[in-house]
Amino acid sequence: MKRETLWLQLRRAGALALVLLLWEGISALGWIDPFYAPPPSAIGGAIAELFVEGDIYEHLEATFGAALLGLFLGLIGGALLGFIAALLRPVAELLEPVMAMLNAIPRVILAPLFIIWLGIGIASKVALSFILVVVLTFFAVYNGIRDVDTRLVERVKTLGGGPLVLLREVYVPSVVAWVMGSLKVAVGFAFTGAVVGEFVASSRGLGYLLAFAQSTYNAALTFALIVLVLVFVMILFGLAGVLERYLLRWKYR
Amino acid sequence: MMLDIRGLQMSYGTEPVLENVDLEVKPGEFVSLIGPSGCGKSTLLRALMGLQKPSAGDVYLGLTRREIGLLFQDDALLPWRTARDNVALGLRIRGTAKAEARRTAMQWLDSVGLGQFGDRYPRELSGGQRKRVAIAQVLALRPKLLLMDEPFASLDAIVRHYLTEDLLDWVEKEHLTVLMVTHDLEEAVAVSDRVVLLGNGPRAHVKGRWEIDLPRPRDLLRVKEERQFAVTARALWDALSEEVRAPAARQRTETEAATP
Ligand SMILES: Nc1ncnc2c1ncn2[C@@H]1O[C@H](COP(=O)(O)OP(=O)(O)O)[C@@H](O)[C@H]1O
Ligand SMILES: [Mg+2]
Repeated sequence: MKRETLWLQLRRAGALALVLLLWEGISALGWIDPFYAPPPSAIGGAIAELFVEGDIYEHLEATFGAALLGLFLGLIGGALLGFIAALLRPVAELLEPVMAMLNAIPRVILAPLFIIWLGIGIASKVALSFILVVVLTFFAVYNGIRDVDTRLVERVKTLGGGPLVLLREVYVPSVVAWVMGSLKVAVGFAFTGAVVGEFVASSRGLGYLLAFAQSTYNAALTFALIVLVLVFVMILFGLAGVLERYLLRWKYR
Repeated sequence: MMLDIRGLQMSYGTEPVLENVDLEVKPGEFVSLIGPSGCGKSTLLRALMGLQKPSAGDVYLGLTRREIGLLFQDDALLPWRTARDNVALGLRIRGTAKAEARRTAMQWLDSVGLGQFGDRYPRELSGGQRKRVAIAQVLALRPKLLLMDEPFASLDAIVRHYLTEDLLDWVEKEHLTVLMVTHDLEEAVAVSDRVVLLGNGPRAHVKGRWEIDLPRPRDLLRVKEERQFAVTARALWDALSEEVRAPAARQRTETEAATP
């Protein structure tokens, strides 16, 4: 890591520690009601308890499973649909308005429908994650292919390349670049889908725990779960960043 | 004849850009094409490459399209391929095995002075180096005819000079046939056997031909001290100026005619 970035991270961590310390202090003085905003130590305690008692693991597994499967299927599905729509005019004519409509609405409103169709198990959560990610990826790929650099296309053609070579050398790498560009947003979407789906109706998962915490007015547990989701999404962001820098090394090296 | 164009007409809309263009290039000849901007020089090359169909006339090629190499002003290398793999691409497309294509590519990069840069991505190269990679990419396919459209237009004078010099060396050594579009009249005279002037459009056609029989191999700097160089360059300048000014002049007479 470069010196300046290290220094920046240090300052950020310092600022965060300061805020937490202030919060703790104000709580100790009794200026804020722990019923609404429990002190950081109580939230930390709640997190520790989740892991010590060990029942958090099945919930993590449920949420991660749904989010990652939804992400995977959404990326593949969106890329394929975007690809086909960009290359075949009639498909685009059918698909674009549907996707545009899905893009315009807050797609989480589909959660109740998926639960009616697919039950309260993991399938409905995967479906919600999928629908969030697939629309995003579709547009990234569809627009990406439509403004692929025509000079590259002509170059490969004049070197004698046919459709297959064009696909492999120009279109697929362009698509990868576009998908990578929206990968982090997609990760966030996938978790939104899984957690919201669980929140609406489920028997497992971080969203289920959140609903439980809310119904028992347990603010410490709620904060603890929010922090957990935050941490895991940050870790996935980091991984997405590593993958991006590897696949797009021609851009970042 | 390596290249024979007869009565070529090219149109985008209703009014033809080019009309009745005749042009022939013999094997081993270096021909430069000059003309006012927008008169249809690039369009002519596109017709030769089969990228665009003529609306009338004939294009005869004395070789297959695979034996033609192309260099354009805005040649794009694949940004996600290294210099070596960009050069290897054309070979791979023509069926050379991967390892063999890469080996050949490195030899070509070496011969354009980029032996050290095989692993660089295009983003990591300068404009002149990228152009050299593009040249290596084309030459690696051993073309017999080179079609070039203002290949070095975006580069600065010094880089341009050395690139032209290297390319000229290669062309003379391999006896390549060349048709090059350029807007640099001195360069055209210095490197060519013949310079062809395309008049202003629309309906542009060939307005003049200049044979340049300076001895080869030519030294790009020395050749400029020859008397024939100065005379021809001046003649080209006058002819091209006339074409560039012609539309304005035509407009003036039309306006004068309309106002008694
Ligand atoms: N794709 C196109 N569609 C319509 N008109 C075009 C297109 N490409 C070029 N033209 C027109 O054809 C004429 C010749 O263009 P071009 O061959 O690029 O000229 P040059 O290379 O001599 O500068 C210009 O007037 C230009 O506006
Ligand atoms: Mg042009």
